[in-house]
Amino acid sequence: MSGSVGFVGAVRLTLRVVVRQLLTRGRALALVVLGAFLALLSFAVGSSDRVEDPIEDGVRLLDLAGFTLLVPVVALVFAAASLGDLREDRTLVYLWLRPIGRAPVVIGAWLGSIIISLPFTLPALVLSGVLLDAGSDVVVAAAAATCVGVVAYTAVFVLLGLLVRNAVIWGVGYVLMWEGLIAQFGAATARAAIRGYTRSILASITDVELNLGELSLMSGIAGALIITMTALVLAVVRLGAMEID
Amino acid sequence: MTAAEIFDQGYRRFDGERAGIVSSVRSVVWYTTKSMLGIGRKGRHKVFPVIIAMIAFLPTVIIFGIVALFGDVSNGIRPDYYEFLGPSESFGFLIFAHFLYAVAVAPEAIVRDRRDGMVALYMSTPLTRWTYLIAKTVAVAGTMAIVVLGPALLLLLGYTIQGQGPDGFGDWFLVFAKLLLGGLIIVITYCGVSLGISSLTDRRAFASVAVLLVLLGGSIVAGTLVEELEMSSKYLVFDPLGSPFESAIRLFGDTSNGPAGAVSDLSVTVGVIGWILAGFGVLVGRYRKLSVI
Amino acid sequence: MSNLPPPPSSPASQPPPPTADAVAVAGIAKPIEGPVMVEAAGVTKSFGNVVAVSDVTFQVGAGVTALLGPNGAGKSTLFRMLCGLTPPTRGTVRVLGRDARREKVVRGRIGLAPQQDALFDRLTAHEFVRFAGETHALSGAALDAAVAESLSHVELVDQTTKIVGSFSKGMRQRVKLAAALVNDPDVLILDEPLTGLDPVQRNRMIDLFHDLAERGKCILVSSHVLDEVARLGSNVLVISQGRLAASGDYRALRELMDDRPHRIRLRTDEPRRVAAALIERGVADSVEVASTAVVASTVDVDRFGREAAPIAVEHGAQLNELVPLDDDLESVFRYLVERRR
Repeated sequence: MSGSVGFVGAVRLTLRVVVRQLLTRGRALALVVLGAFLALLSFAVGSSDRVEDPIEDGVRLLDLAGFTLLVPVVALVFAAASLGDLREDRTLVYLWLRPIGRAPVVIGAWLGSIIISLPFTLPALVLSGVLLDAGSDVVVAAAAATCVGVVAYTAVFVLLGLLVRNAVIWGVGYVLMWEGLIAQFGAATARAAIRGYTRSILASITDVELNLGELSLMSGIAGALIITMTALVLAVVRLGAMEID
Repeated sequence: MTAAEIFDQGYRRFDGERAGIVSSVRSVVWYTTKSMLGIGRKGRHKVFPVIIAMIAFLPTVIIFGIVALFGDVSNGIRPDYYEFLGPSESFGFLIFAHFLYAVAVAPEAIVRDRRDGMVALYMSTPLTRWTYLIAKTVAVAGTMAIVVLGPALLLLLGYTIQGQGPDGFGDWFLVFAKLLLGGLIIVITYCGVSLGISSLTDRRAFASVAVLLVLLGGSIVAGTLVEELEMSSKYLVFDPLGSPFESAIRLFGDTSNGPAGAVSDLSVTVGVIGWILAGFGVLVGRYRKLSVI
Repeated sequence: MSNLPPPPSSPASQPPPPTADAVAVAGIAKPIEGPVMVEAAGVTKSFGNVVAVSDVTFQVGAGVTALLGPNGAGKSTLFRMLCGLTPPTRGTVRVLGRDARREKVVRGRIGLAPQQDALFDRLTAHEFVRFAGETHALSGAALDAAVAESLSHVELVDQTTKIVGSFSKGMRQRVKLAAALVNDPDVLILDEPLTGLDPVQRNRMIDLFHDLAERGKCILVSSHVLDEVARLGSNVLVISQGRLAASGDYRALRELMDDRPHRIRLRTDEPRRVAAALIERGVADSVEVASTAVVASTVDVDRFGREAAPIAVEHGAQLNELVPLDDDLESVFRYLVERRR
């Protein structure tokens, strides 16, 4: 007769199955192409002699292509599907009706999403930072902002996958409407958008001024972590309260 | 009596009136439109259409409010009609309505049919794959036209009722025709790109992400090439978001203030036609090969 | 380790007689032998304005119990509530005295084969069942043994390379069953488990369910295929339009349905004469006459049984056979379900 599964064991089991289900060849190929495109663009900007301020222009490119598009989209594709696909495929029951707590399932799905998202974002952005040829600060800033961005976006999108069906569509709506439009209205709404924090990290390390990215490095990291923790706690509560098919 | 007997009832033909291919197309257009706008579906299917409509019609409502409160609108703050067609300087956020439509709503029109096996069912009716695609395109373009053209035409109507519209029937009709043509260029471009990409995947979510990446990514690449690398502004024709709006402005004899203003009319036209052909080309190519059973 | 009541695993450790009194449901008394393992008390589930399950009360002990009802009757919803997958709108459900939605320990003693054809498609059958075992806290040699045993029950031991996404419906169904069995659950909840299986596999599964029942497990099986249920065992819960229509042994249920005539067939060489006499004496309410048989309808089966043979003798007829026609599950089911409509 079986007992219950420990926290770490349950995290490991969830992580394993989520990674196995998420990583399809089609997704991987599409996202590698996307990352390569960003690197190519960075190479073009880095090697051009027409760029007036390589650091400023480079950081703006990273902000626009990397942190408006690549990082949120990669995190969305994987994290929203991590538990969202299980829910829509009606396989969540195989993790839910088990002697396992709710928290390790959420943590496992989140860690799984991070583990898959990072290889599709971090190399592309670090490479872009290098190819921009604008100093080591840009590379460090790109790496730091990518890690923080992936950690926070995946947490929010794991939650989204548990909240709504077709989470990717809603996630696209969130990235466009909230991160892209509403968060531009002012400093207060920018605090509730992850992009405000990734921007702040980019801006504070490189000393480039970015609109609504005026927080200090530590505040940027802390803000993103608060969003992450909040999203994860809500996801645990949601998983415990939801109806499973 | 034998142990068993089968009574041959024969095939019973449908003897009623056959409504024909036009009716089939009309039916597909209507049900696709309903499905995209969330009519007759649960609340969550209505969220995106409602948000899009709110963004699209917000400036028109504001202008109407100003006109209602203050009467005559001075030329200084009076926007041109075409500004309501797309991302002009004053109403840049309108692009979100168009963009959101192309990303979140339009893929619904064809992706679900393939995933659910409905295409095969449609092919068992008088529809062919081409009439089916025409019906789907009409549905997507028709609903998108409400978002793109609706605000501008409403503004024209409002001004006309207030007695502040174009002078004389000739002028009025010219403005109307230009708005219609400009709007259609934008609609057909976004519609082509969105449907073309959506034809490549059976998952609506991936279709949305891919449309997002092509539209936004294309815009970022073109912008970087021209603004950061100071390459020829001709490269802006690779911007799928901006180029159709630029060509709509050109119909009114204007150009936008940024680097796109420096691109020749010919290049802008070639760019837009290129996007339209690319989008619909992928769509047609994909459905030509699609095995429906 | 849990402090749940132990399962009635062997006759020697059999706990004292029924913890529950005979439970009256839908007017039918159904005593439970052994401890109550699954219990629903006044359970109602609504989805908006739609009431899927309405005020259902029952208790089930060890053995095979079939949940029977037409499509859309509320069987799956009831199972989902028992497993804690969805909370009841009103009432309580208990498995081994616990709420599976809140208490994870009891979830480790349930095996569920859900109705949907959903598996982790990118795993092999072996990996899927192994994963199920690991999520039930099995490890090492115990896990290996449990996986091998479950897969051998469903004859999928050799399926170690092909992913389940490429399996046929029947094979997927067997993988699901193996995963439900891997933790040697005390309560096995199987939603339409025989769908997609061929006749040989069905027989094998039914035998397996009986074996498990004999080991003191509680097995709840839903189905709308009556032949299947009749072979699973005689204990049924009949659900119709979200309400519990009856519970108990279906043969006993038939006996209780006194307000409807029973149909009985008599084989005789003088069907016309016997039919006339049955009507004349008031033993049968109606008769159908064929060349060598009479099918009679009667509300009083006992009297019919007592008087049919003497009547035949009186009229010089030879009585070759006397068979009740609707003592089968189908007639019970049709009667209970149609009465509700």
